[in-house]
Amino acid sequence: MNVLRGYTKAMLTNRTIWSWGVGFMLFWLVVGAFIESQGQDLSGSGVVVYTAAWYVVIVLFSLSMFAVAVANSFTYGSAALAYSFRFSKLSPAGFFGSVVGGSAVMGTVLSFVMLGSTVGIFGLRFDYRFVPANVPALVGISVGAGVFYMALATVLMLVVINYLGLKSSAFVGFAPLLLSYAFGLAQVYAQLPAWLLYASPYNEIESLLYQAFVGSPTPLQISGSTSAVLAWPYLAAGLVVWTALLSGIAAGLLRRIRARQIEEGRQI
Amino acid sequence: MGWAGHGRGMLHVAHLSVEYPATRTDALRDVDLDLRDEKMVLVGANGSGKTTLFKALLGLVGARTGRIELFGEDVRSVRGMTQVATNLPEVFRLVSLPVEDLVAVYARLKGGSPAEPLERLRAFDLTGVLPKRIFELSMGQQKMLGNLLAVCFEPRLVLLDEPFDNVDFERRRRLVRLLNELPAELLLSTHELDLLARFPGWRLAFMFEGRLFGPFRVEDLDRLYLSRGRASDARAVLETRVGAFSVTLDRGERPIKSATSLGALMEALP
Repeated sequence: MNVLRGYTKAMLTNRTIWSWGVGFMLFWLVVGAFIESQGQDLSGSGVVVYTAAWYVVIVLFSLSMFAVAVANSFTYGSAALAYSFRFSKLSPAGFFGSVVGGSAVMGTVLSFVMLGSTVGIFGLRFDYRFVPANVPALVGISVGAGVFYMALATVLMLVVINYLGLKSSAFVGFAPLLLSYAFGLAQVYAQLPAWLLYASPYNEIESLLYQAFVGSPTPLQISGSTSAVLAWPYLAAGLVVWTALLSGIAAGLLRRIRARQIEEGRQI
Repeated sequence: MGWAGHGRGMLHVAHLSVEYPATRTDALRDVDLDLRDEKMVLVGANGSGKTTLFKALLGLVGARTGRIELFGEDVRSVRGMTQVATNLPEVFRLVSLPVEDLVAVYARLKGGSPAEPLERLRAFDLTGVLPKRIFELSMGQQKMLGNLLAVCFEPRLVLLDEPFDNVDFERRRRLVRLLNELPAELLLSTHELDLLARFPGWRLAFMFEGRLFGPFRVEDLDRLYLSRGRASDARAVLETRVGAFSVTLDRGERPIKSATSLGALMEALP
């Protein structure tokens, strides 16, 4: 069994990922479908927009939760990585490639689960048969988003391991999740400047998913009435650049990984 | 230190000092060591610096001063040197998987087949660990898993830290035989002096308060004595916080073999 298969199996059988990355997100989908929708005017295309907004935000949360869980596990394996890079055939690039490969598989699984759950739960609530405009694109974007999140979470965790010390892991490790909440919800409820939406990888993912779900370009504010929309090629290019940049940094940090004692991370 | 004359071998350590980052106190002080085509047992009490030395040799802790070379290469720049192995438990925690899968991943990384470690686990009646994850194993099982993985895949240099800790009598006996027969250079640490007689022909060194003393041979153990102070015929002088102690041959205050540990022996001296 190689590291890619090992990591993929560990991810697919991880209870934390399934309970928080999937179970907790299903809970929010139920809240969105049956509680938050109360009293809202969701006639006509409003139902689709409302459902798409919930879908894209939930995918952001789910993928960031997944990446945080995996990157946190690096704190337990810092000595194993430092040792393996010296005394086994594992290279930093090979390891990162394996983690990214596992993330792509897990991203595919999560995207199907979230898509099916959203369509099912919201379809039940609104008695509406949702047909996402471009399912292959949704899956592809989710996989790309999974890789981006993994690169981001890896960089942050390696900064903790190499420089800040494991005491900081609880705070820094959750940054991808916190930023997902901030940027993800901001685009739904506020009109952010276009340059920020093009520059922010969270909003790039959110906007690309929205367009693939609805079938039309994403407005600057998802729940608003603005007619200004975002161009998907720029969004996709931005996400690729972010992912490549973070992957390069992650590979560089992996080469210098420090072996840490896990006890160092104990908070109290 | 009396290591001169052994030449630069598979493992070469010169003037190594390591400090604990939190307290800025010395964990290892001016350690010199050469290992070439031989096996060595390193004896020291718990907390004497043995594990820190092993971690430093593997590049897992940084040195304040000194140099470590493995097969002529600075440990800091080593990559892909699969012929070096250890039983330190943290090096096996790459990913959380059942032991059977973990063994398969480790075998792949070492360029070998999982058949060998699986066979060794079977030979030590440890197949029960295969479906479990490492944290579900007893301390003795964890130790044996590390020991057996360390000796697989034709290593040339094996660093075994306290390989007998929490291991039952029968497995100890089998492990001693395995290590004596292993065609590899071995550095083994223990705090149990009474184990030394089982390693005839091995070199022997003592570790105390982060310093290495020796070299001797295991066969010399019956003739080694420890005395307080600096004896003129001392084979080694152990400088400690509670004064100097001399290791002498054939005469002295207390025979080293009479103690279970070096620390206990020092406390017993007047």
